[in-house]
Amino acid sequence: MRRVFKGALFRKNIPLYVMFAPVIAYYLIFRYLPIGGLVIAFQNYNFFDGILHSPWVGWKNFQMLFSTDKTILIIWNTLWLSFLNLIVGFPVPIILALLLNSVKKMWYKRMVQTLVYLPHFFSWVIVGGMVVTIFSLESGFINQWITQHYGEPYPFLYKHFSWVSIFVGAGIWKEMGFSTIIYLAALTAISPALYEAASIDGATKWRQTWHVTLPGIRGTIILVLILSMGRILEVGFDQIYNLRNAMVSQISEVISTYIFSMGIQGGQFSLTAALGFFESVVAFIFILGANLIAKKFDNHLF
Amino acid sequence: MSESYGDKISRIIISFILFLIALSCLAPVLNILSISLSGKQAVESGQVLLWPLDITLQSYETLFKGTRILSALSNGLQMTIGGVLLSMAFTICAAYPLSKSYFFGRRVFTLLILFTMVFSGGLIPTYLVVKSLGLIDTYWAIWLPGVISTFNMLIMRSYFEGISSEVEDAARIDGCNEWQLMSKIILPLSMPVIATLLLFYGVGYWNSFMSVLIYINSTDKYTITVLIQQMIQSQSLLTEALANDVQAIQLVPDGIKSAGIIILILPMVIVYPFLQKYFVQGVMLGSVKG
Repeated sequence: MRRVFKGALFRKNIPLYVMFAPVIAYYLIFRYLPIGGLVIAFQNYNFFDGILHSPWVGWKNFQMLFSTDKTILIIWNTLWLSFLNLIVGFPVPIILALLLNSVKKMWYKRMVQTLVYLPHFFSWVIVGGMVVTIFSLESGFINQWITQHYGEPYPFLYKHFSWVSIFVGAGIWKEMGFSTIIYLAALTAISPALYEAASIDGATKWRQTWHVTLPGIRGTIILVLILSMGRILEVGFDQIYNLRNAMVSQISEVISTYIFSMGIQGGQFSLTAALGFFESVVAFIFILGANLIAKKFDNHLF
Repeated sequence: MSESYGDKISRIIISFILFLIALSCLAPVLNILSISLSGKQAVESGQVLLWPLDITLQSYETLFKGTRILSALSNGLQMTIGGVLLSMAFTICAAYPLSKSYFFGRRVFTLLILFTMVFSGGLIPTYLVVKSLGLIDTYWAIWLPGVISTFNMLIMRSYFEGISSEVEDAARIDGCNEWQLMSKIILPLSMPVIATLLLFYGVGYWNSFMSVLIYINSTDKYTITVLIQQMIQSQSLLTEALANDVQAIQLVPDGIKSAGIIILILPMVIVYPFLQKYFVQGVMLGSVKG
């Protein structure tokens, strides 16, 4: 009887494996093979010799990365920009979700949601184009207004501080709405009975938010925080590429743009692979570390 | 329970803040749309805000006549449609077996796939793999390296798992085999998640920028996203020479650039309202169970 059952199970699995075979091939070729390909970070890779025969150089590429001023600056820029993105950008969707959650008129809530989700679907080419148009020196309406009132236009995109503000602000603007979805989902899971109990105990709306709502979505907040920790060394290529200009090159060259210009365009595969390796390892450590900390608060991911 | 005076005030303030936030999302789009529809004079004087002045379609005419936008548009559509079909097929092939409890090795495969979410080889090794497969300068190079978005796949798997096993048992008793079960029962029941992923993949391919820049060398294969980006960039390159030659800036007027941006936005704005209820559902599903 048991053998018959096993045979049936085996037969049931055949179509599943037929389906799954291309998936295995995909993950092997495009996800695991590149991980293996990271060995070129320890080589002096060239196309002629390939991965198998390129000369080994040990840690030389890494030593070069951490002793060159230019690459240290780039790593620093990346850390700084993504840190700002995280610190400034993280609370915004939570606050927005709380605001949306307190709206009683459904049509109003839905209308606001429709509008704030929209920028998520715009590419950085679109957002970059908008930013350049709106803040442009000659015809952007902001500078027109400034010129009319103060005489001199302000070069927002060419000054370091205002550029960084616009960079971070654009990122928040693009993703704040969409990131509320996960919090709004968590908010619906809070039992209304808790609010009733709190209001019977005399808690005001603010105290209810503090003592019921926020603890209710704590798990989700920590989860999102862990996931964003993994991106601490990552400033999206599209975002930076579409917002930067020559005047701010000092602060806007980051790991992803460097890998693109030095590796893909410049052919320095080993050096940039080492940089990519470093980025991946740091991301991995940060994710595990954040998870470990979250475990202490009983809210871990794995 | 009647509302206190303070609560009412705070409700009005919250509504107003939300109004400002929603406006901040809409205003740049309206500004760009207005610029694209306004006369040159009005645009250059910076008077155009949220509605067009001296309405004209000149910018769109120049855009379509003077640039290669039509072929880039068709490239973009081909690349997007091809990519979406391929990604959907692969994602279903991954999510369906992984959703079945009797699938041998389900745990191991899931772990191995999850690992790729937290550790990746990065751009350069991926590029070398694509290059050694001879895919450079074809759209396969854009499609294949990211053909399955693991996040999207997990959303779909959760949805499949949520379909009651009684439905499945009933279908099997009626003589359905695995293929029929999937194509006739499970997939038709999964329309919300399929719609969500169609939107996510569609938007992803339409917006894809870096991969086109990296893998496509011939300019006649450029997609519309990259073409528009180069139009925008070339102007800002000119702006860098700002004090030197003010006249040079007029080479690519803001109007044409804005018209390009509007064309990039258009497909998304058209599909988006129809799919909104689905993607909200989809994301919630992915977040709650994933």
